[in-house]
Amino acid sequence: MNWMKTTLSLLIVMLAAASCQKKEPIVITPDDFRNSVDQVTDIMVHDIFSPPVASRIYSYPNIAAYEIVAQGDSTYQSLAGQINGLTAIPAPENKNLNYPVAAMVAHMNLSQSLIFSEDRMQHFSDSLYQKWSQQNEEEFTTAKAYGLKVANHIRAWMNDDLYKETRTMSKFTVDTDDPARWQPTPPAYMDGIEPHWMKIRPFVLDSSNQLQPIPPPEFSLEKDSQFYKELLEVYEVSQGITEAGDTSEEIGIAQFWDCNPYVSVTRGHLMFATKKITPGAHWIGITEIATEQAETDFNATVHAYTKTSMAIFDGFISCWDEKYRSNLIRPETLINLYIDENWKPILQTPPFPEYTSGHSVVSGAASTVLTGIFGDDFAFDDDTELPFGIPIRSFPSFNKAADEAALSRLYGGIHYRAAIDEGLKQGRSLGTLINETITMKN
Amino acid sequence: MGKPLLLLWIGLMLIACESAQEEKTPVRLFETIEATQVGIHFKNQLKEDDSLNILDYLYFYNGGGVAMGDINNDGLPDLFFSSNQGANKLYLNKGDLTFEDISEKAGIEGNSSWNTGTVIADVNGDGFNDIYVLAVVGINGFQGHNELYINQGDNTFIESSKDYGLDIAAYGTTASFFDYDLDGDLDVYILNHAVHTQESFGRAHIRNRRNPMTGDRLMQNNNGNFVDVSEAAGIYGGDNGYGLGLSISDFNQDGMPDIYVGNDFHEDDYYYLNNGDGTFTESLKEYFGHTSRFSMGNAVGDVNQDGRPDLISLDMLPEDETVLKSSEGDDTYHTLKMRTEQFGYHFQYARNMLFLNSNSGTFSEQALQTGIAATDWSWSALFGDFDHDGHEDLFISNGIPKRPNDLDFVRFVSNEQIQKTIRNSRLMDQKALEMMPSGAVPNYVFQGNGNGTFVDKSAEWTGNIPSISGATAVGDLDGDGDLDLVTNNINAAPTLYINQTDKEHYLKLRFQFSDANPFGIGTKAFLYTEHELQYRELFPNKGWQASSEAMLHFGIPKNTSVDSLVIVWPDQTSQRILTPKMDATVTITPKNTVPWNPTRTHQKRKHWNDVSEALGLQYTHQEDNYSDFNVQKLIPYQISDRGPAVAIGDLNNDQLEDVFFGGAAGQPARIYLQKNGAFEYYHDPVIEADSLYENVSAVILDINQDGFNDLLVGNGGNRIQPSLQFLKDGLYLGSANGFQKQPWTEEMVNTSIVTASSKGDFVFVGNHSKPLDFGNSTASYVVSTSKSGLTQHRQEFMVDGMITDALWSDIDADGDEDLLIIGEWMAPVILDNNNGTFQKRSNGVPKVSGLWQTAEAFDIDHDGDTDYVLGNWGLNSKLKATNEYPLHMYYTDFDANGISETVVSLEKNGAYYPLLGLNELAEQLVYLRKKFVSYTEFAGKTMEEVFGAEALEKAKQFQVNTLASGYLRNDQGCFSWHAFPAELQVAPIKAFTSFSEENTNQLLAGGNYFGVIPFHGRFDSFSGSVIRSEKEQESVTAYGLDFYQKSVRHLKMITITNKTHLLVVYNNETSQVYELDENNP
Repeated sequence: MNWMKTTLSLLIVMLAAASCQKKEPIVITPDDFRNSVDQVTDIMVHDIFSPPVASRIYSYPNIAAYEIVAQGDSTYQSLAGQINGLTAIPAPENKNLNYPVAAMVAHMNLSQSLIFSEDRMQHFSDSLYQKWSQQNEEEFTTAKAYGLKVANHIRAWMNDDLYKETRTMSKFTVDTDDPARWQPTPPAYMDGIEPHWMKIRPFVLDSSNQLQPIPPPEFSLEKDSQFYKELLEVYEVSQGITEAGDTSEEIGIAQFWDCNPYVSVTRGHLMFATKKITPGAHWIGITEIATEQAETDFNATVHAYTKTSMAIFDGFISCWDEKYRSNLIRPETLINLYIDENWKPILQTPPFPEYTSGHSVVSGAASTVLTGIFGDDFAFDDDTELPFGIPIRSFPSFNKAADEAALSRLYGGIHYRAAIDEGLKQGRSLGTLINETITMKN
Repeated sequence: MGKPLLLLWIGLMLIACESAQEEKTPVRLFETIEATQVGIHFKNQLKEDDSLNILDYLYFYNGGGVAMGDINNDGLPDLFFSSNQGANKLYLNKGDLTFEDISEKAGIEGNSSWNTGTVIADVNGDGFNDIYVLAVVGINGFQGHNELYINQGDNTFIESSKDYGLDIAAYGTTASFFDYDLDGDLDVYILNHAVHTQESFGRAHIRNRRNPMTGDRLMQNNNGNFVDVSEAAGIYGGDNGYGLGLSISDFNQDGMPDIYVGNDFHEDDYYYLNNGDGTFTESLKEYFGHTSRFSMGNAVGDVNQDGRPDLISLDMLPEDETVLKSSEGDDTYHTLKMRTEQFGYHFQYARNMLFLNSNSGTFSEQALQTGIAATDWSWSALFGDFDHDGHEDLFISNGIPKRPNDLDFVRFVSNEQIQKTIRNSRLMDQKALEMMPSGAVPNYVFQGNGNGTFVDKSAEWTGNIPSISGATAVGDLDGDGDLDLVTNNINAAPTLYINQTDKEHYLKLRFQFSDANPFGIGTKAFLYTEHELQYRELFPNKGWQASSEAMLHFGIPKNTSVDSLVIVWPDQTSQRILTPKMDATVTITPKNTVPWNPTRTHQKRKHWNDVSEALGLQYTHQEDNYSDFNVQKLIPYQISDRGPAVAIGDLNNDQLEDVFFGGAAGQPARIYLQKNGAFEYYHDPVIEADSLYENVSAVILDINQDGFNDLLVGNGGNRIQPSLQFLKDGLYLGSANGFQKQPWTEEMVNTSIVTASSKGDFVFVGNHSKPLDFGNSTASYVVSTSKSGLTQHRQEFMVDGMITDALWSDIDADGDEDLLIIGEWMAPVILDNNNGTFQKRSNGVPKVSGLWQTAEAFDIDHDGDTDYVLGNWGLNSKLKATNEYPLHMYYTDFDANGISETVVSLEKNGAYYPLLGLNELAEQLVYLRKKFVSYTEFAGKTMEEVFGAEALEKAKQFQVNTLASGYLRNDQGCFSWHAFPAELQVAPIKAFTSFSEENTNQLLAGGNYFGVIPFHGRFDSFSGSVIRSEKEQESVTAYGLDFYQKSVRHLKMITITNKTHLLVVYNNETSQVYELDENNP
């Protein structure tokens, strides 16, 4: 075989030499990566994924891209061995590799297998592949092969996270006997979604209940109980906002952070859905803004996305663990039953138990991680919701944005105060845990 | 065009022309004529804009109204059309199908912004028909009020609604003039509709709180002044009343007109029974097991010719496979459960309902069995004998400009379109509306068979022309004696359906009744022919936003002689007319009348007394909250609801029959001991300790031959539970000191039946399925008994299906007992007993695969040998199965996740499709979401296209050839299969028992079943039957029993102080004991 190896090596050297003369290296910009993530976001809005599932769709492709970045740039450290179950990706055979191209390929390839509308992702990657192969076919081919290899490695690991098994596990059984327990809410009265999400393998948490929050205030309809006070607060705050009118600050805040991927609207026999991004996607959007504003390079961009998406992913696991443990009834159900039959929350109540607030947990976790990367004095203009007709809001820091995101759930009429406060704490503990235990940048 | 292509094209043309010549235009029963051809230039043109469309007004597409009635007393029905946004029109019928537009001169064009239904009635009793037009006022800037046009007798009208107190400004749909208080004049029921957002259901009780805009109104006529008496009369008037359908009829035949109101969306329909004192009692839940979900128009007709008015209520279930699978369907299991159990609503399903009025006053719903359940987006139903064969036929108008429940529109299209143009979330622009698919479809006509069943004749009788038709009126427009129809269409001229029947006979009745009610509204007519009865009532304000000609029409086939005609006047007097004139219009006036005695219900021939309470034998089975569909999302029915178990036998060695009831999971079993002619609850700690077991079958016998009876309990439950141990069948050995449990089996599967041979030498343990693995095979056993209990000596049998029941019987008449085993997705199996060795019989048993539920031995043909009756799923179901096209079920691991699923498939037009839609399938098989990213891609796809030939090939395939209940008839030891008549097919039959009456054995059958998803509905309509022979059966209501709305699981005869009693055991209900009146001759 020796002669063959020699001949091959010679051939490769000759080819490389030949191409080097003609072809410039393919240049991948941070925008290319951001575009790829944006593409995933758009497809997810169309396909309709629940917030926990969306968090998974973001994170694995990011990790695949990041692991390639870490292969090619020694300032970044692989996550292998640091997060649950991830082993080192195969090393490239040829170190002289266009790592960003490989990272892009891995990102797009994994993303495509996670969303439903594959055609749209395929179309997006095909046009890039075509461009790159024209620019430098050989460099592209090598990087693509490696990118796909890594994607397969990550996919194998991903497939063990129990997601697939949870798809066919039992639906949530509503407890109709206990007045404190969650009931499906108008208008679609959907089943509780993702009742088994706590079984999904987290990245950083050792188990889904590692950061278990304190229990919610004890259910009571006694006027002087903490629970009832918080229930009444939701109602009164909502009534106040409604009186103030559609242009009030609070309504603006509620709508800005709505982040409900599927709001069903019914007008007689006419039904339609207004679809938006998820809470996780909003923070992915903020990450995009931050990397643009900080003008991070490709590798740093991937790093920021990856770490944020990991925080969001673990955030949903931690939150869902609590949601289906406390299984608490939503304010809308109680207000309609005991306070005001015609009351409707400003935001549509999402279909799962109340405590803790998912947006609060995720905002707490993501903001803490982003603060760790970009600092606490990072002011930014958040235009994430512009495509949905919602104006820009400006924040002095990630933490302040998270505070507002959490509070928006009270304004929206979908959470009690405790779910917001404790949710934010839960998320920030998670963010801190990630910042303290995971080393990505050397 | 190239030469070869041109040639080919010419060739094709030739072929096409030839076949066209051969076909000729068939003569259709109805000639359809566009109204413009006969001088009717009315058109209900909708003007949609950004501020007024389906988004702003939920009933924007409900269309106008049409009223057919004689306004100038020339004997020809004239036509009035109401237009939603335009001028109303009145056309004088000039004969020979020519019409004159007299609208302007008549002064009826109207002033309301939005007109809806219209009806004709002689409101002031002056002998001239007046016109009432409903309006929607008070939303979207709509002005005006309901308008009453009083006929001046000269083809002119004066709007006088204010003078009569009928100038109501609300959300009107339609109205019906009739005499509810029996004081001689016409009152009116005004049907209004809610516009309240149905985003939140609200609780059912909000119907008690009156809302003047949406609430219906009952208006009492006090000398020409109509007064709202709704509240005092017991008429609901809440926010929730989406009133779209209205029918008046003397439903319970007590001589007083009752009201049925169909409400759209989640609000229940209302069934108002007239109390005769000016009030009504709303009684829907008692008399109707379930109703349509999106109730639209409804109509009354005696379709099975028993003299009791039946009812159809329309909904919007499409028949077409592609439309069906791309439209929103029924609620989920949980939503329905919540709405019924927590919110207080009744059971509703999204399809047409045909309610057959039974003689106990309850309505047996049979739309699926009778073939009229799916007629797409339907508005108006009208009965009439269109072909003069003596049976009521049925016309259904349907169609909608845009299908707002198109799933792609709901989930994908609307959003993307909205996002491009949206300013705020409440506005949707025209472009988005246009992206909904069109719902212009042909109207349906069904030919009635006289027994409640129908045959679709739409193509043959009308030619299947797509249209958007709403309000429809029926009458004899051309005066030729048969029934013509006219539909008010949206954005198109009305359509006239001119009836071409000329073969058979007819009889048209008009009435001259009284001053206040000249045309005799509310008059009944019973036409008796040699073998049949035809019943009609005159309530011409009927159908959808419409009213029809005020006459009664009968079709009479040739060679049928009419015996008599009985007229019952609104004042409850009657007169008999012998041999009425044929092929004529007869005007009848009261003459030689006699008081009419209403027969509220048929005389009960027998009366079996309910003695449950007196005997102290009442066991309430409480089904637990577990739903199989939470876990096995695609199984066709629940498996966890097979209880309770019941066994009768002596449990305390006093030679008296005691009763064991086995509970659902979490509910302890109970023993009732017979003492002094009554029963006492006996607490047995050993047995009650096993409350976590779901007991589904039990048998009492002395297994260990120690002189004390023992108890063997078969357990099932099919659930996720802490331990599968609870599936083990329990053996409890009796002694003087109560029961001791004896371990005897390690098997943990869903048992369905434990039964012992009469000598007690064998026990059969029949197993249905493996827990949470429906479709996988499991073995069943014949076990020998001995002094040591149940021996290790057992014979194992596998069958291709899920066993539900087994019967010991000497099938081959060789002196020992053989076994008949039945089950779901299998044909009956016989195990021949050869000296204690059991062998499957390979021949002599018909291979009729069914969803068999129960079996019993009964000599149905009274020839002295034993036949076997078998309860099946019934024919009143969305499932269907024939020998040519069996029902299929595939069992395999479709999504390769290590767990197998079942997918049910049935045939439609020669191809097989999945029974369920993409939403339901993808709940379990998530990969289908990726394979079909839109509903359009999925809809209309066959099983192979959806799942791939390979997966289906690999799968274990089950099939069913018949869903009919019936019997295996024994003719000299050979068995042949025969189906029961239609009356016994309305629900699954779950239990039989035989009893003796006048020294003849009779068979009692009970059933009903609710363990299915809302897609299937609710099998609640079988009251129970006594089967006397192959041909004869009778409802058990004749014995004073009624299993309506209850799921019977066991019918057992029990001897109590030497008298025979019937024990009826239900699922999730309290058992009942009846004393047979044989005991008290």
